[in-house]
Amino acid sequence: MRSSAPDPHDLVGAYVMDAVDAGDRAAFERHLAGCEACREEVRGLRETVARMAATADRPPRPELREQTMQAAARLRQLPPALAQQAPRGWSRLRTVWRGTSRAARSQSWTVRVAALAAVACLAVAVLFGAQMHGAQTRLNAATAHARAMAAVLGAPDAIMLTAKIRTGGTATVVMSHHARELVLTAHGLPVLPRAWVYQVWLMGPAGNRSAGLLYAVRGKMAGPMLISGLLGGDKVGLTVEPAGGARRPTTRPILLLNLGS
Amino acid sequence: MNVRRSGQPADVAGLAGVPPPAADLAGLIGEVAKGDEAAFRALYDQISGQVLGIVTRVLRDPAQSEEVMQEVLLGVWRNAARFDPAAGSAAAWIMTQAHRRAVDRVRSQQSASDRELRAAVAVIPYDEVAEAVQASLEHERVRHCLTGLTAVQRETVTLAFYGGYSYREVAQLLGIPVGTVKTRMRDGLIRLRDCMGVE
Repeated sequence: MRSSAPDPHDLVGAYVMDAVDAGDRAAFERHLAGCEACREEVRGLRETVARMAATADRPPRPELREQTMQAAARLRQLPPALAQQAPRGWSRLRTVWRGTSRAARSQSWTVRVAALAAVACLAVAVLFGAQMHGAQTRLNAATAHARAMAAVLGAPDAIMLTAKIRTGGTATVVMSHHARELVLTAHGLPVLPRAWVYQVWLMGPAGNRSAGLLYAVRGKMAGPMLISGLLGGDKVGLTVEPAGGARRPTTRPILLLNLGS
Repeated sequence: MNVRRSGQPADVAGLAGVPPPAADLAGLIGEVAKGDEAAFRALYDQISGQVLGIVTRVLRDPAQSEEVMQEVLLGVWRNAARFDPAAGSAAAWIMTQAHRRAVDRVRSQQSASDRELRAAVAVIPYDEVAEAVQASLEHERVRHCLTGLTAVQRETVTLAFYGGYSYREVAQLLGIPVGTVKTRMRDGLIRLRDCMGVE
């Protein structure tokens, strides 16, 4: 059920949070061009989200300072914009920036995977949501699951950990200490013979608790698996167990991820 | 260092190296616009931590976040002459760019191929017991104001702003209509604005 003519101005919140695609953005900026009050609202909400953005202070590594200064010295500054160019201010920068950034993107691959994995994780959460148009009952369960994962991924204290799995592949964990929950994914897990299965554990002073089975599919991400009930000192463990899983780990963990709690 | 200039009371000795107060940010951008490298250095000292903070929060990956932080600061250098104080505060101008670039990076990666991902995975150094890649923060006021929202307002705003999701994706994630997401984002932000006392 959608209203016949959605008010273009409803998009103002999504717009200032960059939660729009290019088409929405262009449409909204056309709307803005003819609406003084709307521009004023955008200005106030931008200040608001700027404060939300400024809650995390993370001093860069010292060497980045000189590196940035040297890069600036080589970078020609743009002249002031001419008055008749419209719309003024924010949106125009976007085009300018596209051109300037490429040269700066010369980083090693090594640590990138962390973000890629997280993004994949997020993407899966989204896809998970997108696949739900089938059965109504499944939809509710799946929505609750996606919502719980979203809560972890969006938690203010969320941190991300990655580690190599001894037998191949990489595990990625996004965790909220506060919520005592985490989302686990794995990439490149070798597919096991039929009689065996991967089993995830929380292992710590409180004992070893099964968090469920993880199925490897060739070339695909395993998970995401939502794990609740984290206790202090827990690590995430992964073992190979007989099909159906075990009550206690029966083999040496191929992954033991310290959660730093 | 000619960092503290226009609009400041008489120079105080021994302030070299001390970041100027936030009110100076717009003044610094004015100096940067004229190619003043010392002013750019001072601006970097003042804002780079916050830029890296929000970029890391959205992107999560430290190496990429540093890269984006540098792009943002270089963008400020390059575009300083185009900063328009009438359109908003200097901090908002910079943080807007920081957030947008982080989100752009997230979106461009969503289309990165699986093959690329697997190739990247292959070069991670082995580490049996991994340590935390830290992210995060919290600023009491924003936190307090966020608690004043309804659950749906808070979820939509948080997923969009800190999670880097589009409003359509947020609608899918939460299983609520797109129209509702748009209005909750808007009224949620308005409530935050009023709670924070933004003019």
